[in-house]
Amino acid sequence: MFNIIPSLKGSAAVIATAAMAFAPALASASPLGSDPIRLVIPFGPGGGSDITARVLSATAPEFCGPRIDVVSMSGAAGLEAVNFVRNAPANGHTLLVSDYGPVVTSGFLDDVDWSHDDWQPVMNFTEWLPTVYTRPDHPIQTIEDWVAAAEADPGSITFGHANPMGLVHLPLILFEMETGLENIHVPTSGGGETRSLIMGGHIDLGMTLPPSIASEVASGELTALGVFSAERSPVLPDTRTFREAGYDVVLPAWLMVIATSDVPAETVEYLQDCFMEALASPTAIAMSDRVNAGIEPLNAADSTALYQATVASIGDILRSMGEID
Amino acid sequence: MMLEAFVDALYLAFSPEVILYVAIGVFMGVTLGAIPGLSGDMAIAILLPIVFFLEPAAALGLLTGIYKGGMFGGSISAISFGVPGTPGSAATAIDGYQAKLKGYPNKALNTALYSSVIGDTTSDFVLIFLALPLAIVALTFGPVEFFALYAFSLLLISALTKGKVAKGVAMAALGILLAMIGRDPIGGSVRLTFGIPELSGGLALIPVLVGIFAVSELIIQLSKAWMERVRRIVDETKQQAQSLLGDYDASKDKLTFAEFRATMKATWIGTTMGTLIGALPGAGSSLAAFISYGLAQRFSRHPVEFGKGSLEGVAAAEAGNSATSGSTLIPLFAFGIPGSATAALFGAAFILMGMTPGPRLIYDHTEVIYALFLILIYANIINLALSHFLLPLYSKIAMIKSRILLPIVCVLAILGTFAAGNSVIDVWVLLFAGLLGVVLRVYNFPLAPLILGFIVAPGAERALRQSLLIGRGEWTHLLSSPIAIGLYATAAIMIFTFTVVMRERK
Repeated sequence: MFNIIPSLKGSAAVIATAAMAFAPALASASPLGSDPIRLVIPFGPGGGSDITARVLSATAPEFCGPRIDVVSMSGAAGLEAVNFVRNAPANGHTLLVSDYGPVVTSGFLDDVDWSHDDWQPVMNFTEWLPTVYTRPDHPIQTIEDWVAAAEADPGSITFGHANPMGLVHLPLILFEMETGLENIHVPTSGGGETRSLIMGGHIDLGMTLPPSIASEVASGELTALGVFSAERSPVLPDTRTFREAGYDVVLPAWLMVIATSDVPAETVEYLQDCFMEALASPTAIAMSDRVNAGIEPLNAADSTALYQATVASIGDILRSMGEID
Repeated sequence: MMLEAFVDALYLAFSPEVILYVAIGVFMGVTLGAIPGLSGDMAIAILLPIVFFLEPAAALGLLTGIYKGGMFGGSISAISFGVPGTPGSAATAIDGYQAKLKGYPNKALNTALYSSVIGDTTSDFVLIFLALPLAIVALTFGPVEFFALYAFSLLLISALTKGKVAKGVAMAALGILLAMIGRDPIGGSVRLTFGIPELSGGLALIPVLVGIFAVSELIIQLSKAWMERVRRIVDETKQQAQSLLGDYDASKDKLTFAEFRATMKATWIGTTMGTLIGALPGAGSSLAAFISYGLAQRFSRHPVEFGKGSLEGVAAAEAGNSATSGSTLIPLFAFGIPGSATAALFGAAFILMGMTPGPRLIYDHTEVIYALFLILIYANIINLALSHFLLPLYSKIAMIKSRILLPIVCVLAILGTFAAGNSVIDVWVLLFAGLLGVVLRVYNFPLAPLILGFIVAPGAERALRQSLLIGRGEWTHLLSSPIAIGLYATAAIMIFTFTVVMRERK
């Protein structure tokens, strides 16, 4: 099970040897076997997590040894992927790539046989910053317009978002709890539907992630009102945060590689090192820029702190909503 | 400047490498689409990383080829085995399989091919020349209009078979009920799962589709074969001489020009509906196929033939689903909105190549997009040529005796179902759907309304509840749009003419 660089054949061996030459530290003791590493995503293919995971799968084999596959399992609202990783052998070959929804939120709300402590982050790719936006000819164009309109006629503004209780919905709930405002929440099938409802004039506001609207905001086809984060989004430099407008609502969403907690520490460390090294390579940086993934990796320790903070804050939100005790 | 870009695009699109990738894509798509459970979309999802390694035109050529091939490939198993290879070809199975049972698989397959290519090509031209105006019309479809469209399609299909309207409506209702298992799309709570956690994501479309059509057919054929066997013990010698192909006569099974011309009206109905419905974000190719089928029957000179192997039925359904393939990219090109799973995958491919989907796409990457337009058009010609060459072979496969063929189809179906979602639960759903299919077939319930109900229910429920949320709980909000009122009125008139006027003619 713990072979030291096992019998790789042909070109793979050449690449592995080359990698060893450039990265002697890694060659010393790989706790991984020769089987491929599977990055399991709890969403359908083609979305942000898929695209980001593919940057890793295209660049990391050179640094980690085995091939890396991205496997998409969107069944049971993502829980199938989570259970699949949970039931796989704890050898670091089956990893989950997910935002907090299927792990943290589901761990609170769904009937699952694991707890939040059964998972350990390997590394964090990026932080996604939930952003409120609308069409440019809508009367609401700023955070202040929104607050004023909602105070003048409570429960009149329609707000579209994907996934109830997901990462583009919880910030709205948190904002309403902070401010006492009321809006009509209109769940949609995803970012695409939210956007067509906004552009077609069927709803007022919506929430999404910056990369999907950055170019339309720059060209004036959509207006971004505000971002629920501590700092501005690098791809939406002119859009204020809600904190700047005086509302301390910060709920960014991370995208992490997560292993089960029974994966040995040296395996997690090895994966963290080779993933971070791969993502720091010029190829990975070029790829990340090209797909607007905004990858800024965090190591296992920092990711774990972030993970635990998220468990605490999501728990608080759900408790004050009365969803959990 | 434009002309220069166009000339560059010509070089890109017609380089031997790109043509080869398009051809490989078409071949892969047709083959995968023909396997029940596998679809072009899945192959595109798996092959997406190829955009990292190929030139943009070559990568887009491969993906386009797979998409178009897959769109037509689905009809091969729909006609040959009565099993829709892809969700889009569910409507093709209704008449296509009946035609095959009558001994005319080749006629049906050729009709499917020609109508598919006509629908697809027209839709591609609409994408190229009318994307923006059509996209603006598509945006006027909000929850209220979508609910009207879904209701219209359900009424149209439920009332399809004369004398069986009640059964049709019952089946549509059952389909809606099955689709409601799982997570409530608005509240997020889990319903109707009877405590089985694996069902919380709902029943997946592919296992239900393949189960209802394919597994039930296998079970029925097996029992038939078993009955035959009992009989054979009595009369053993007679059976042995039968060849593998039975008494299929290929020479009598050629599509004539007169027959082709007779299907043209249905093809154009399918092409028009498919192009329009394809441009609506979220509506999908199976809905387009069913609506085209329903309308073609209404406007046909031989509506009685529908459901009994009508080539018009095959043409309408196939033109309907294929005509969505160009127009489904319209919202993506016009606004960066992916309107379907396929459009989302093409959107991801653009993103992976560093091109942002949306109105800027054509200005920022003029050559590549022009090349894609050219590929979209000529991929149809490759599809036509390649499939034309392969069809006689497929017709022969179709006529292999079902007791040999169906087990193979079912193994493929189970593998395909598993591969689609990497889920064992899906295989159980497949088997249970098969048993349900047997019961429904034995009692002569139409399967099409069930499938359509299952396909449109999630969208219809979401649209209805979004409308009610936006309209603050007022049901009259559903009548707040002229488009919606028009759709309801058309549905009412159609039901009236079909049930009252047609009955008097009898």
